[in-house]
Amino acid sequence: MADRFSGPVGRVMDLAREEADRFGHRHVGPEHLVLGLLRDGSNQAASILRARGLDLAGARAALGRLADRGVVPGPRPSDAELLGTLGIDLEAIGRDLEQSFGIQALQNATREATRARRGGVGRVPRTPLEGPAVLTTQATWLASRRAEALGYDAVSPELLLLGVLEDVRTPWPRCMSNPWVRQLKASVGLPDSYRGAAGALLTALGVDLEELGDAVSAALGAPVS
Amino acid sequence: MSEAASSEATAVAAATSSQDPELGLAAVAALRGLVEVLEALQVENARAKGWSWQQIAARLGVTKQAVHHKYAGRRFGFRRS
Repeated sequence: MADRFSGPVGRVMDLAREEADRFGHRHVGPEHLVLGLLRDGSNQAASILRARGLDLAGARAALGRLADRGVVPGPRPSDAELLGTLGIDLEAIGRDLEQSFGIQALQNATREATRARRGGVGRVPRTPLEGPAVLTTQATWLASRRAEALGYDAVSPELLLLGVLEDVRTPWPRCMSNPWVRQLKASVGLPDSYRGAAGALLTALGVDLEELGDAVSAALGAPVS
Repeated sequence: MSEAASSEATAVAAATSSQDPELGLAAVAALRGLVEVLEALQVENARAKGWSWQQIAARLGVTKQAVHHKYAGRRFGFRRS
C-alpha cells in the first residue's frame, strides 16, 4: 500500500501538504490534493483540469473563498509557532528525541499518546511531532482500489484524481465521525460536518464532476462509470 | 488570502503570549500533545531499563496504580513484564 504512493503521486501528495501549510491549514484534505495536482502540473490529471479552465492561482483563490465561507478553516498558527510563543523550539526537540531514542520509539510513543481508548476518547487527538491531520484516507484508499481493479502496480496522479472524485460521491465511513475523529477535527478547526471540500472546490470553479470523472476514466482507458 | 493571512497569523502568534484565549489555549493544547509523547517515551524507556512501576510513579509524582493503569499491557511497544 505504502509503495503504491511513491513516485509522481508521492510528489503530488507532498505538494498537497505544502499547499495546506500555505493556507495555514493544520489538516490535509482532498481539496489540497486537487491543488497538489495542479501545482505539480506535469501530470495528465493536471492537463485534464487545465482543459476545463482550472489553474493553480484560480483554485487557490477559490479555496480562499471557501475558507471565508467557513467550509474550511481560516489560517491557524502551526504547533511550532504556538510552542514558540512559550519559548519551546519544537524542531530541536523533535531532532533530539529522534537522535536519542530512535524514530521507532518516537512513533510508538506518538501512537500511544494519540490512540483512542476505552470509551472512545484517548489522551490527545494529535501531537505537534506528527505534522498535519491527514483526512485524505478515503480518497487515497479509493484511488488504490481503482489501481488494483485496473491492474496498475502504482497509483498515478490520474488515479488519485479519480479517487478524489469518487470520494466526493461516497459518504465517509462511520469511523471517520466517531468521537475521537470529531475531536481531531475540532483540534484543527474543522466543522463536525467536514467530509472533504474537494467537491465544493471543483463545483465553485464551475467543473462538472461527472463529466470530469468520465474524462479521467477515458484517459486511463477505463470503462466510463 | 493564504500567504498574507498565514504570515499574519505567524506575526500574531509571535506577538502574543497568552492574552488572546484563541492562541493561549491552542498553545496549551500543543504543549499537552508534546507532554503526552514525552511521557510515553520516558515510561517505555524506563520499563525497558528494568525500572518498576513504583519507581516510575515516584518520579512522575503519581501513584503506581495510576501509571500502571495508563501504560501497562499496551499493544505498542509497552510490555507487561
